[in-house]
Amino acid sequence: MNQPLKLKAKDYKSEVKPIWCPGCGHYSVLSAITKAFAGLGIARDDTVLVSGIGCSSRLPAYVDSYGFHGVHGRGLAIAQGLKVARPDLTVLALGGDGDGFSIGGNHFLHACRRNVNITYIAMDNEVYGMTKGQASPTTPEDWDHSKLTPHGPGVRPFKPAALALAAGAPWIARGYSGNPNQMARLIAEAIEHPGFSFLHVLSQCITFCPEQTDWKSIVSERDEPALSDADVAASLFHHEDGLQTGLLYASPRNAWPGPQAKVQSADISEGFRL
Amino acid sequence: MSKEQLGQFLAHSVELESEARERYLELSEAMAEHNNKEVAEFFGRMADESRLHLEEVAEIAEQHDLPDLKAWEFNWPEEESPETASYEAVHYRMTLRQAMLLALDNERAAERFYRSFADSSQDAQTRRLAAQFSAEEASHAAHLVKWLGKLPADPEHPLEEDDPPHMPE
Repeated sequence: MNQPLKLKAKDYKSEVKPIWCPGCGHYSVLSAITKAFAGLGIARDDTVLVSGIGCSSRLPAYVDSYGFHGVHGRGLAIAQGLKVARPDLTVLALGGDGDGFSIGGNHFLHACRRNVNITYIAMDNEVYGMTKGQASPTTPEDWDHSKLTPHGPGVRPFKPAALALAAGAPWIARGYSGNPNQMARLIAEAIEHPGFSFLHVLSQCITFCPEQTDWKSIVSERDEPALSDADVAASLFHHEDGLQTGLLYASPRNAWPGPQAKVQSADISEGFRL
Repeated sequence: MSKEQLGQFLAHSVELESEARERYLELSEAMAEHNNKEVAEFFGRMADESRLHLEEVAEIAEQHDLPDLKAWEFNWPEEESPETASYEAVHYRMTLRQAMLLALDNERAAERFYRSFADSSQDAQTRRLAAQFSAEEASHAAHLVKWLGKLPADPEHPLEEDDPPHMPE
């Protein structure tokens, strides 16, 4: 019997070519996702990428798998519904900092709390890039590059890892677009984690935040084991500079829905019948 | 042990050349999309060069048992394989000179990587192949230096926009 051909990372890329700016960190996330899929040997038709709106949310089109380019901020809601209906699939939700922490902020909190077995990759460039450079929930307080906030947003940026922890996320990691191989490993681990996994990616925007190219010299890998004590992790997330990468926190708990609440597609169809 | 060393070396070599080609292709397509035709053509040419080198390395590798490594299991001197253009180093307004300097850095990094095996491997075949690959990368670098010498100087602020992309009030 013939062995199935082992797919390489490039085999997971679709025919659609990205239109991101050259130098955009999202290319690196695309590369890391395809490397993770190749490393895990995941079948393309067992995988679904769901996104919201924004530059980063274009990503599902560039991967040769099933994909859903959803509504702004609602990628997580769609991804969770899909996973509950089809637990056999590998489901990844994707989006940017505006999509995930502002417009979809409430979905983010409840996805962390609910703990459906999906992976959420938030590509954080601290700016709304697609609409040409407005401040987002993670923009630094004094970022004055936009004419809409000429003196900076003047409010403290969100700390995504701290938010995720407070809302109950059992698996929290941070990657960086300058290190796609580490990111690929983190994505593979996130997919294998049996519950909600949140990967916060520092993904530079070369166009509206050119200063982020400096991340290359200041981002570092955290060389300690992942924390499992939420109190210790909370202290870390509140006091760190947000530039350490790696698996930061892992404290597995039962995913939702539990095994006793198996949902069939037919049940869902019945439930939605008008 | 020597077979293992050779297998590891060839696995790294194939990945290095393959990643270099993929990244140059990606950059070429991205630059074409952003109307930087000169740089798009240059990166396209570098992708072709990398493909030729990849074919040469892959042909040698086919005759040996290579370990099946995942992307994060390769042992590179830095975050990515040495000949892969870093995402931080490119910009849609970069000039041909900047693109060539980036490619030169990549060739020299690959040359150093191969030379480290040529200098330190305990396996004779690995040392021989590494010296051959290193010399090839050095010759690519020398070509780039020659081309760079023929280019006119860049404008003073090549990345500055005539019409900045920020939205007016």
